[in-house]
Amino acid sequence: MKNGFRQSMACLHTWTGLLVGWLLLLIFMAGTASYYREEISRWMRPELPATTVSTDVAAERAVGYLQTHAGQAETWFVTLPDPRNPAMRMFWRNPESMVKPPVEGERRRRGGGRFGDATIDPNTGEKLEARETRGGEFFYRLHFDLHYIPVLWARYLVGFCAMFMLVAIITGVITHKKIFKDFFTFRKDKGLRSWLDFHNVSAVMALPYHAMITYTGIVTLMVMYLPWGVKVAYPTDEDAFFSEAFGGMPEISAPAEGRAAALPIQQLLDSARTHWKGADVSGFSVTSPGAANAVIDIRQRDGRRLSTDTPALRYDMVSGELLMETPASGAATATRGVMYGLHLARFADWGLRALFFLSGLTGCLMVASGVVLWAVKERPKHAKTGRIGFGLRLVDALNIGAVAGLPIAFASYFWANRLLPLQTAERADAEVSVFFYAWGTALLAAFIWPKRVMWTWQLYLGAALFALLPLLNALTTHAHLGVTIPAGDWVLAGFDLVMLAFGAMLAMCGWRMQRWTPPLTAAEKKKRAAAAAVAAEAQA
Amino acid sequence: MMLLALCLSFSAFTALSLAMEKHQMDLHGRQAASVSRRRMWSVLGWLLLAAAFALCVVDHGWALGPVLWLGAMTLGGLLLAFGLYPWKPRWIVPLAVALPVMGLVAAVV
Repeated sequence: MKNGFRQSMACLHTWTGLLVGWLLLLIFMAGTASYYREEISRWMRPELPATTVSTDVAAERAVGYLQTHAGQAETWFVTLPDPRNPAMRMFWRNPESMVKPPVEGERRRRGGGRFGDATIDPNTGEKLEARETRGGEFFYRLHFDLHYIPVLWARYLVGFCAMFMLVAIITGVITHKKIFKDFFTFRKDKGLRSWLDFHNVSAVMALPYHAMITYTGIVTLMVMYLPWGVKVAYPTDEDAFFSEAFGGMPEISAPAEGRAAALPIQQLLDSARTHWKGADVSGFSVTSPGAANAVIDIRQRDGRRLSTDTPALRYDMVSGELLMETPASGAATATRGVMYGLHLARFADWGLRALFFLSGLTGCLMVASGVVLWAVKERPKHAKTGRIGFGLRLVDALNIGAVAGLPIAFASYFWANRLLPLQTAERADAEVSVFFYAWGTALLAAFIWPKRVMWTWQLYLGAALFALLPLLNALTTHAHLGVTIPAGDWVLAGFDLVMLAFGAMLAMCGWRMQRWTPPLTAAEKKKRAAAAAVAAEAQA
Repeated sequence: MMLLALCLSFSAFTALSLAMEKHQMDLHGRQAASVSRRRMWSVLGWLLLAAAFALCVVDHGWALGPVLWLGAMTLGGLLLAFGLYPWKPRWIVPLAVALPVMGLVAAVV
C-alpha cells in the first residue's frame, strides 16, 4: 500500500508540474525580478537624479509643486523618495467640474481624465522628464496579469497554476524518498541522476520559500478566488467588506469649506514621527488642500514589520490636531497582512532582499529542471523505437522556448529600453512588445527545430544579450559602470553587474550543453574496449 | 551580524553534512566516519544553526529574524550542495573554519 501511495503521488507530481511548468516559469521569473522592481525602474530611466535629500525637504518641495500645479485638486497623494527610489512621485484628483469632455478618437485616460500625476526631482522641485517606460512595474504586473489576457482570466489562470504548484510541492515532498539523506547530494555528470539531484536540491534547500511564496501568492488574491464568504456576509455592499477588512482609514466625503493656511508640512511630519517614536514617514495624502477643513494622512515607512498593513495618522492640517489613528487590526486581517507582506517582501533591507531574490532564482531553477527532467526521462523510451514522438517533441520545444527563450525576452526588454528612440509613440508599450516578440520568436524557432543545437544557440544568445547589456548601457547613457562604481551608486552598478553574472551563467549552461555527449550504451562500451584491446595488441 | 549569521549557517551545514557517512567519505575517506565522531558533528551543526538563529533574531527582531535565518540556510546549503561538494570538495573544511572568523571580524569592525 505504501509503495502504491508513493507511486500515485509521484504520478500526480509529474503531471501537475508538467502541465503548468512553462507558465509557472514565466510567473516565477517575473515575480523574482519584481523584488527589484524599483531598482529596475531606476535603471530604465537613467535620466533620473541619483542624489537624495532629507524627507522634510522633499515633502516641502512636493507641497510647493502641488500648490502651483494642482491647487484646486480634491486630493493629493505623495510618495516620498527613499534610498531605493530617489525620484518623487505624486498624483492628484481634480474636481469633477474641471474634467474636459473626452476628445473624439483620443485614447481615454484611466479615471476619465480626473487624475493628474508628476514625477519631480526632490532637489529642485522641478518636474523630471525621463523616457517613457513601464520599468520593473511591467514584470510585477506580468506575474499575475500575464499582459495580453484579460485581467480576470489571467488571475484565474495564475491562481490555477499556483494551486497546481502547491499540489506539486506537497506531492514532491512525499515522493522524495531520501529528503534528509540526500540533503546535500548533487552527483554531477550522471545524466538523469544529475537532473533529479538538481531538481531535488533546488527544491529542498529553499523549500520554506517555495511553499511560502506559492501559498501567500494565492492568499493575495483570495477574495477573488473564494468570493462566496464575502457575498454571504455582505450581500449588498462588497465595498463595505473591503473598507472594514483592509481599509485602514475611512475616506472623507465632506466637501472643502473656506480657505485657511495650513501648518508647515515639516511640523506635521515631525508630530507623526514623535507619535511613532522615531519611525520615519513614507508618504502622505491631503484631502481638500488649502481649505479650512484640510486633513492629512501620514503613512509610516515599512521597516521591521512583516505585514503590509501600514500604520497611518490623520491630522487636521490647520490646527495640527491628531484626528484619527489606524486601528489595531484583528487576528484574521493581521494574518492576511503578514502573508501579503511575506509575498511582497517590502520590509526587506538589501541583505534580506538579496536572499529573497536568490530563493526566487532557485525556484526558477527548480521549475526549469523539473520540466527538463521529464524530457530526459522520456527520451530513452523514444530512442528505443527510433523516432521522437509528438509528446516529447512538444515538451522539448516548450522547454527550449521557456527555459532558454525567456531569458532572451527579459534581456530584449532591457535592450529595447536603451535602443528605442526616445520620441517613439507609445514608447512604453513598444518596449513591452519587444519582450513578447523576442519570446515569440524564440518559441517559434524552438517549435521548428527542437534539437540540442537550438538549446545551445538560444542559451548563447541569452548570454550575449545579458553580458553585453552593461556595454550597451555605457554606449547609450551616462549612468554606466565607469561612473556608477566610482560614485558608489550600487543600485545602478548592481544592476549592470547582475546582468553580467546572468550572462556568464547562461554562457556556462550553453557551453555545457554544447560539450555534452550522450553516455555510451553498455554494448558500445564493450565494442570500444574490444577495439582498444586489438589496437594495443597490434602495437605490441 | 547578518554576514556572520550567513557564515555560521554555512559552517553548520558543513558540520551536518559531515555527520552523514556519505559526505564523510567524500572528504576523509572511510576511516574517519566512526559513529561517535559523526554524532559530534551533528551536535555541532545544530548548535551552529541555533547560534545563527539567535544572531538573526538579535539583528532583525522576532518578526524578520526567522525569515532571514531561513534565507541564510538556503544560501549556505546551495553553496555547499551545488558549488563545493561537486566541484571543490577540498575547500569545504577550510572555508567552514575561515568564514565565521571573517564574519566575526566584520561584525566587530
